[in-house]
Amino acid sequence: MRATFRNVVTQLADQDDKIVMVLGDISVYMFKDFWEKHPTRFYNMGILENTLISVSAGLSSQGLHPFAHTICPFITDRSVEQIKLDMCYNQFGGNIVTCGATFDYAWDGATHHAYTDLAIMRMLPGMEVLHLGSKAEVESMIRSQYNNGKPTYFRLSDHPHDLKTNLEFGKGTIFKNEGAPVTVMTAGPILGNVMEAVQDLNVNLVYFHTLKPIDRELIEQFKDTKILVVHDAYGLHEAITAEVPGLRTYYHGLPDAFCGWYGTVHDIRKRIGLDPAGIRAAAEAVLAGGAPAKPVLPASKSAA
Amino acid sequence: MDSPHMTVPMDPLCKTIRTEILKISNKCGHGHIPTSFSIIEMMTAVYQTMKHDPKNPNWPDRDMFVLSKGHASLGFYCTLAGHGYFPFSDVYSFGAFDSTFGCHPDRTKVPGAEASTGSLGHGIGLAVGMALGARINGTSRQVYTLIGDGESNEGSVWEAAMVASHQQLANLTILYDNNNSQGRCLPIPNPGERFASFGCDVVEVNGHDLPELIKALKKPHNTVRVVVCNTVKGYGAHTLSDKVYEWHRRAPKADELDMLIGELNAGNF
Repeated sequence: MRATFRNVVTQLADQDDKIVMVLGDISVYMFKDFWEKHPTRFYNMGILENTLISVSAGLSSQGLHPFAHTICPFITDRSVEQIKLDMCYNQFGGNIVTCGATFDYAWDGATHHAYTDLAIMRMLPGMEVLHLGSKAEVESMIRSQYNNGKPTYFRLSDHPHDLKTNLEFGKGTIFKNEGAPVTVMTAGPILGNVMEAVQDLNVNLVYFHTLKPIDRELIEQFKDTKILVVHDAYGLHEAITAEVPGLRTYYHGLPDAFCGWYGTVHDIRKRIGLDPAGIRAAAEAVLAGGAPAKPVLPASKSAA
Repeated sequence: MDSPHMTVPMDPLCKTIRTEILKISNKCGHGHIPTSFSIIEMMTAVYQTMKHDPKNPNWPDRDMFVLSKGHASLGFYCTLAGHGYFPFSDVYSFGAFDSTFGCHPDRTKVPGAEASTGSLGHGIGLAVGMALGARINGTSRQVYTLIGDGESNEGSVWEAAMVASHQQLANLTILYDNNNSQGRCLPIPNPGERFASFGCDVVEVNGHDLPELIKALKKPHNTVRVVVCNTVKGYGAHTLSDKVYEWHRRAPKADELDMLIGELNAGNF
């Protein structure tokens, strides 16, 4: 997805001299072509996420279209006030594009895990929030949203799905609509696991790449079913329940614990029940009239 | 360095601005008066140096000023009024529901305000982006930002200074209000040396000497310039400067208003 992001932005920058890259010392070599072609619009600014955002907002004030890009938890968690005030409150729009989604950097431990970003970004007035799941979505959403004057958050991952989705901003996709009593709703790359888990179950399956504004009409189509939200982050469940009050929803996703193991994203997903088997078990539980079981996690050692 | 205490007569416009601040604060019940009083000459110097048109605040060729220490908004509004952006009488709604003039500036409401500020350590980063953007666009725009010494406890101030220096932003001027506001917690000794060590072009002046300030702002510079302005909180009224913590955020009552205006008019600060 990052390579797609690079390709799209570099192509756009060839025609649009208002595009400016602002990197937090990440993806620098990857953007070598952009750097060589547009050196006055390429800044590997440093490891200072607060200032990446403030400077991007300042660039926006001058009519430019900044792309602030670095690792997900650092720029969203650390710089939430800069995003809230310098971009949203000041109405200096711009693009924030992150890599290192959820457990992409599993082996780096909990300091590098990212799961609060979508929920926080969603709460900021005026913000557009995209949990992109495929390379096609990256291409389409960046092209359609990058210069609309609004602050827009694009979340990329190293583990995209390859399913075909509705590529219209703000619109979701129905993958299965069987008139089933349970609807699974999901977003982002985890769609691959969800599809594998439920394709032969009697459930409906709905997918979103845009969390804000979320596709209310699509949610309302399934308001009379039980809704199982499967998401490897926070933000989708909150968006669904806030947009359409009164739904019967269940959340199957992250535990209230630091997932402080290493290995790969697949290892962590398996432990917390976000592998296909775990997701299938959650869907079967809701179909049977129950609720998804909480994963049993190893006890963490107490700090000395 | 001369003491900033009245080594030069107070400029008449600066005295008018201070008088209006006191009267508005008395009427509205709001205002950070001492911190506003410390920066009146600084802002006046900026508005008497930069390209701007008060009758056309969005003039595309204008220079830009960002008040990073947004709590000095009352001083900012009165400085804008003193330079023709709107009448002083407009500001008498300061802090009221539905007013244009809040206790921190909102750029979408106040003519002449380029940024909405309030949380400290943000305006300087915005100004760095503005200056960088102006340079990318190939314009001659100059960007000015005014930061506080208390605000400079924030790490984001120094991030922004590093970037401004590394990018050699010769179209950016940072005015540093050295009014000793952090004497009781985290003071910043020798700010000029600190900014110089970051690679900034530093000049230090009496922040209440308007001609000296204007001269400093007009001095050519090849990278980001920092004007360290030695100032006094509550400058012009002894009661304010002697009791800065008591008056940090306080509106004068009627008798106090008369006393403070009397001190201001006495001109013996």
